[in-house]
Amino acid sequence: MKAPLSLLAGAALLLLLTAATLAGPLLLPDPEAMDLAVRLGPPSADHLLGTDELGRDVLARLVQGGRVSLAVAALTATLAALFGTAIGLLAGYVGGRIDSALMRLTDGVMALPLLPLLIVLAAADPVRLGIPPDLAASEPVAVARLAIIVACVSWTGVARLVRGSTLSVRARDHVRAAEALGAGPMRVMVRHILPDVASPVVVAATLSVGHVILIESALSFLGLGLRPPLASWGNMLTGAMDVVWTAPAMAIWPGAAIFITVLAFNLLGEGLQRRLAPSLCRR
Amino acid sequence: MRRSLAILSLILSLAVPIAAPARESLTIGLSQYPVTLNPLIESMLAKTYVLAFVHRPITAYDPSWTLVCLLCETLPTLENGLARIETLPGGKKGIAVTYALKADARWGDGTPVSSADVAFTWTVGRHPRSGVSNSELFNRITRVEILDARRFTLHFDRVTFDYNAINDLRLLPAHIERPRFEAAPESYRTQTAYEQDSTNPGLYNGPYRIAGLERGSHILLVRNPHWSGPRPGFDRIQIRTIENSAAMEAHLLSGGVDMIAGELGLPLEQALALEKRQGSRFTFITRPGLVYEHLDVNLSSPILADRRVRRALLAALDRDGLTRQLFDGRQPVAATMVPQLDWVFAEDVPAAKYDPAAASALLDEAGWRSGPGGIRVNAQGDKLALELLTTAGNRSRELVAQVIQAQWRKVGIDLKLRTEPPRVMFGDTVSQRKFPHLAMFAWYSAPESVPRSTLHSTLIPTAANNWAGQNYPGYASPKMDALLDAIEIETDRPRRKALWRDLQRLYAEDLPALPLYFRADPFILPKGMSGLSPTGHQDPSPYWVEQWRWD
Amino acid sequence: MALGLIRPVVSRLGQSALVLLAMSFVVYGLMGLMPGDPIDLMIAGDPRLTAADALRLKALYGLDRPWIERWLGWLTQALQGEFGYSRLYALPVAAAMLPAIANTALLMVSALTLSLAIAIPLGLWAARKPGSAADILVNLLAFASVSVPVFWLGLMLIVLFSVSLGWLPAGGLNTIGGPDSLGDRLAHLALPVSTLALAGLGQFARHMRAAMIVESGRDYIRTARAKGCSPVRVLLRHQLRNALLPVVTIVALEIGGLFSGALVTETVFAWPGMGRLIYASVMGNDFNLALSGLLLATAMTLVGSVLADLAYWQLDPRVRGR
Repeated sequence: MKAPLSLLAGAALLLLLTAATLAGPLLLPDPEAMDLAVRLGPPSADHLLGTDELGRDVLARLVQGGRVSLAVAALTATLAALFGTAIGLLAGYVGGRIDSALMRLTDGVMALPLLPLLIVLAAADPVRLGIPPDLAASEPVAVARLAIIVACVSWTGVARLVRGSTLSVRARDHVRAAEALGAGPMRVMVRHILPDVASPVVVAATLSVGHVILIESALSFLGLGLRPPLASWGNMLTGAMDVVWTAPAMAIWPGAAIFITVLAFNLLGEGLQRRLAPSLCRR
Repeated sequence: MRRSLAILSLILSLAVPIAAPARESLTIGLSQYPVTLNPLIESMLAKTYVLAFVHRPITAYDPSWTLVCLLCETLPTLENGLARIETLPGGKKGIAVTYALKADARWGDGTPVSSADVAFTWTVGRHPRSGVSNSELFNRITRVEILDARRFTLHFDRVTFDYNAINDLRLLPAHIERPRFEAAPESYRTQTAYEQDSTNPGLYNGPYRIAGLERGSHILLVRNPHWSGPRPGFDRIQIRTIENSAAMEAHLLSGGVDMIAGELGLPLEQALALEKRQGSRFTFITRPGLVYEHLDVNLSSPILADRRVRRALLAALDRDGLTRQLFDGRQPVAATMVPQLDWVFAEDVPAAKYDPAAASALLDEAGWRSGPGGIRVNAQGDKLALELLTTAGNRSRELVAQVIQAQWRKVGIDLKLRTEPPRVMFGDTVSQRKFPHLAMFAWYSAPESVPRSTLHSTLIPTAANNWAGQNYPGYASPKMDALLDAIEIETDRPRRKALWRDLQRLYAEDLPALPLYFRADPFILPKGMSGLSPTGHQDPSPYWVEQWRWD
Repeated sequence: MALGLIRPVVSRLGQSALVLLAMSFVVYGLMGLMPGDPIDLMIAGDPRLTAADALRLKALYGLDRPWIERWLGWLTQALQGEFGYSRLYALPVAAAMLPAIANTALLMVSALTLSLAIAIPLGLWAARKPGSAADILVNLLAFASVSVPVFWLGLMLIVLFSVSLGWLPAGGLNTIGGPDSLGDRLAHLALPVSTLALAGLGQFARHMRAAMIVESGRDYIRTARAKGCSPVRVLLRHQLRNALLPVVTIVALEIGGLFSGALVTETVFAWPGMGRLIYASVMGNDFNLALSGLLLATAMTLVGSVLADLAYWQLDPRVRGR
């Protein structure tokens, strides 16, 4: 596949998805409105994709779930990229003991088995950390909590990547010149090194979004992801598994939504990679 | 996408019946694996279920909710003279109950089940460091008097109406377990032969014995040659653990399991959907029992402390419609926590009727008037906003909670839903009364079980009493306390029934909890199998496995 | 092997020990943050248990002490090679884990083998002519493989092969009580292994393809071709050997997975492996078992990364100079 093709395809798919999640609420019925008389109804003019086990519009819920799933994934990827970049920059630029300590930390986190660790993290109770129960149960907190948990274990790749690039950029003339002119380490890192190492970070972050969506669905499957009534693709798919024999379509839609989104992010990431950071292709 | 859907539908419709399972063996799907097999350690439904095939208690409740002897010859009563009230040294009343073990009761290695086993089990049960989970019964017994090899008398320190129910006294084979226990009582829970040597036939006295197991996966049962009761219908029974309910259904459809246990099997709504499609391939039995689904009300909340609001909440709930539409009407609406099948059920305490108009009137009366956005407000301008907490991962409850939310919305109540994993909810939030308004969950109990721990005012969990008791609503009523105390010691049945009636009346008036319905567990059996009677209570159906048959 | 290799390996092992120590502390702390202990749960499920029972059992299981004290106790014991009893299974930790490790290893090794057996030829095929129809096809397949939720894939395979066609069992280790034949075992392995292999082959195929394309542009390949070596020989002796490097690295890093299992797949197929064991022990507050399981998996991942470096060193002469 040629670079522009995957880039275009990925970007187009994502635009479409984002437009749908944003425009959906304006056009579609209320995703919470239930009608117990038409449970698991077939597609009709009122409900384009049919209704779920409480008679709610599947399309509207899909759109609402997409908003949540995309928000979690984007937030997680951003957090992981920020954290990884900070660690990588610091390690690569300062070097010495700090570098070796930070890299041991990275290796350590990388070695941890992902899913079991996520279980432990997800099962821990935010209320015990002093967050008031009312706040802990609210939607933005639930989303942020999941994002932070997943980000906690997924920043390592970016950190390694940034450290490597920083090591090579550090020796370049413009960085040396800035240092000679008396720029402080903070300024050098942010103004002179960061722009040069940003592209691989963007690529890595894009590629990780798809991965996060899959992790969210796996956690939902284990009962540790976002919980109803908050709809996400992960918990919609999990719920649909129980009625897969009666209403297979219920499992097809969120499954397809996850699949297409992950695919779009992977295509976009690969396209960006060829565009922005061709050297990465040769790892 | 449309095409893949079509293909999938095609695949699903192609489902062909698998060849009929061999008659000498039966494979049962169970959604949980027992963590231990020792009858006294840990309290868990999966263990009770598996042990029911291989290990019999002395007494149990049968499918008609009557107390019967399983290992004993006659049930001792005050009337037949086998139980007699005695005066204890301190002047209190106690009771002495005499049992005779069946003459032909044998452990799987041929050793007779004897009074010595009873005495040994009592010693283990009372030992503070043996790891026994439920020591209540053992602590009530002050002395075990051995009359001969089969006859023994238990001396209890108090008189209760259920003096002859010793369902929790599950015998340990002294000839195997005694050396293990006496060597080091504090490590008995790991050294017990039920863990170390689980396939030892001498550990089991039921119609089957455990012949093999793979932890977390399956257990193989074979006939116990020393079983003297009716010969059971299957040579082998395999119990397979499948935690995921969609996978469980797949196992059933593909012939990987022949039947699904009702005690720990599929959620009802999934079983109902299956019945619609595959009703001709399997027999479906749903029987409502005593698992009481309800909303506990936190009476410390100023909104809910008002009885009119609680009544309004119940009147605004179309429980009939809910159980009809979600559960095909199989789960009967509850009037109180006493199920219709219990003999103490009071016919004249009717379930509250669905009446949104009455609910609105009650709320108006309580000072909650229609406000902006359709949500009621009180004189101070506070919204009528409540929070309902329930267990995460329980699909039925999640669905019901969302229906309740929609129905209350119609009378102007804003209900927020929150789900918590069971361990969080029961380990912390509910047990320490931290839920702000309502909590939806179920109580399991035995037939005619006195709801002391959930309703008595001394059993409201507080930090001071170390969170003891299950009176999570915080219900304190002197009348209720008196009724509970009276029922427990009333040995006369008609008088007891009258007390129970008063209790149900009071409960329906005060509404310390909002009753929803009694759960019905779906049993899915292969066509051609008969003899299985769901009990609807905590004593599982395999206590009568010898009646299971192929026609 | 060169002596120069010993120092880095020793220092890596030392660091690994530190990681394990820190990890045990973090896991213990996090499990301590989980609300409610198993005794609380037991009481919620059985109203007949009294408060006195709860206190007695908590003291018996040591649940009444602060977690940091319990961790120190655990650490002292563990350093003496004593990992204690699993609370859930009432067995020594090793005895509880061994069968699960065997089951998981069987599953994961088969899946990895199948995955590689498909992915490597696919990668080679795609790399022959970048941009060709074959390449696009392999790319799409690889994307599909990394984009599908595993539990969904697993259930769809069950729907197709177990329920509709009735060819394969829907799950479990073997037919209980049946003759323990190789065929029976293989039939039970087929679906979980296929699920894992399908979900894993995407990344291998992509890495293989990318590495082959990179290598094909290198000087030594052109030199070899110019010398008149047969294309097959060039492909297999030179290009493949170097292109396998990144794949070997990933495989080595997957070693930890052999011990942490594949929780989702194991759940769907009722496979009693390490994933479910660790999950059950974390959920059941079985500290001894959870810690041992997680630490073993981590240790094996660390060993795997050392092995990956060694493999690199073996396969790639250029690294030795460094």
